[in-house]
Amino acid sequence: MRLKHMAIIIGVAYGIMALLPLLVGDIRFLMNILIMCLIWAVVASCWDVMMGFAGIFSFGQVAFFVMGAYCSGILAIEHHVTPVLSILIAGLFTAGMGVLVGLPCLRLAGPYVALVTFGVHMALQPTLRGEIGIALGSGGSVGLLTIPPINIFGYSFSSANIVPTFYLTLLVSLACALVIMFVIKSYWGVAFLALKDSQDFAMSLGISAFKYKLMVFALTSFLTGIIGAYYGHFYGVLSFRMLDLDLFSILMVMMLVGGLGHYPGSIIGAFLVVAGSELMAPLGAYRAVTMGALVVILVLALPNGVMGFFLKRASDRAPSG
Amino acid sequence: MLRVIHVTKKFGELKAVNDLSFEVKAGQIFGIAGPNGAGKSTLYNLITGFYSFNGTIEFDGRNISGMPPFRIAKAGIARTFQIPQTFPSLTVQKAISVGSRFGAAGGLDSAHVNDVIQFVDLDNERTQNTGLLNLLGKKKLMIGAALATKPKILMLDEPMAGCNATEIRSLMDLIAKINHDLKITIIIIEHFMKVLTELTEELLIIESGAKICQGDPLEVVNDPQVIACYLGEPDAKRK
Ligand SMILES: Nc1ncnc2c1ncn2[C@@H]1O[C@H](COP(=O)(O)OP(=O)(O)O)[C@@H](O)[C@H]1O
Ligand SMILES: [Mg+2]
Repeated sequence: MRLKHMAIIIGVAYGIMALLPLLVGDIRFLMNILIMCLIWAVVASCWDVMMGFAGIFSFGQVAFFVMGAYCSGILAIEHHVTPVLSILIAGLFTAGMGVLVGLPCLRLAGPYVALVTFGVHMALQPTLRGEIGIALGSGGSVGLLTIPPINIFGYSFSSANIVPTFYLTLLVSLACALVIMFVIKSYWGVAFLALKDSQDFAMSLGISAFKYKLMVFALTSFLTGIIGAYYGHFYGVLSFRMLDLDLFSILMVMMLVGGLGHYPGSIIGAFLVVAGSELMAPLGAYRAVTMGALVVILVLALPNGVMGFFLKRASDRAPSG
Repeated sequence: MLRVIHVTKKFGELKAVNDLSFEVKAGQIFGIAGPNGAGKSTLYNLITGFYSFNGTIEFDGRNISGMPPFRIAKAGIARTFQIPQTFPSLTVQKAISVGSRFGAAGGLDSAHVNDVIQFVDLDNERTQNTGLLNLLGKKKLMIGAALATKPKILMLDEPMAGCNATEIRSLMDLIAKINHDLKITIIIIEHFMKVLTELTEELLIIESGAKICQGDPLEVVNDPQVIACYLGEPDAKRK
């Protein structure tokens, strides 16, 4: 997709988002949902950069999200670091962890990368609950309960000030979306795609597989860590329960609904899936089953997600194909 | 320009390249031939840094043994692959500019990318996805991307494989033009003896990873040892 089209889709999606508080601004529960849309859009997009663009089957995205959230939360609670600074430190910490996880993955073929990264995900929960976690200040099986909200020049962005907090989230999410867009459309993104398509050919033309694959890990885990940290300060409480498979699978659904490798489809996917999931709330216990069935149907009907569907429609209409 | 000195590569017990030494001089078109499984492609993978090996490879007087592929590409050695490689996510123009952006000293040179696209005659396919090119198109794309790195030496691995007579002719013209007009040294692995005798100035024959003989192509193809080693290969003897 051309940069212009990408920018237009991102602009429209975030533009509509920006208008929604005018309709529902006084309903706190709906505002919370909108904020979660903006947060999951970033995580799903990072995952898409990793899987769809770089072709690295990493299943560590939720783990990096939780690492960022805990890192910033612990810094703020235990070490009294001011939240904006703690979020940045958490981003750098997660980027470092991303590189550490990425290093062994460079030498591994696809399925093994999936195993290693999912191993990180699986190991994180016992670590946070266990002695290491408690020593670091993770709160053990209780989790973190008193994460302070973001405070900028004395103004507190908490759920008590939901509309301003929404717009701050919108800005952070949009900034992440734009960073991802520019990376994808730069020669970094071309290097990711070339390595995914044919690593040998790419290397023979001067691309360092080592450098660019580590860069994918660093970039996606940095942004995921930042947004995870942001989430922690917004929500105020954190639990290792986030590492249960619910969040993991719903993020994957967002990415698939948007269309793997069809950024910014993952943003649309996140918005649609959160909205769909809330609309199905009356189904109660049947929601998960219905959701699962819908996903199967959707993936079979639209293998490239909504973005792939619209791109195909657009190219079918164009005379040159 | 390129010196291969006592190079050996083992895959387990198999010696794919066995104590091989030769030298390619600047400006040459240098041919390499040998039966299937002789170790020709493996030799390319050693020169371009894809595998580790024993021995030494020097390029422009500099030891390049152990260097990673991307560094060897930047140093001025470009190559194509026996099994055509493309970037199905990229257009022809983007794919060729990958070579320029990452492989050429000084980075992306759009004017040069344009020249290369004209040179390999892919102007009409410029905006086409590389995965949709036909076989000849894919081969020209690989050559174009390699040329975009502004190489001193271009190594072609069976560029004519699977091509018909017209396509072979056009590729031979292209290769001669690269050598003559762009002043790029060429190493070519080929099965078609006629291509080698017409195109190359020096020919190296290897079998089981070792040198059988080397020298003037017309003399080499009449060498009794070479004929003997090709007897089991009716396919190559056909011409
Ligand atoms: N990566 C590899 N692992 C194990 N054996 C290999 C590998 N690559 C090539 N070989 C073996 O090395 C020998 C030489 O192969 P190759 O260089 O492809 O031959 P040629 O290009 O001359 O036909 C063959 O026996 C092949 O099976
Ligand atoms: Mg071969």
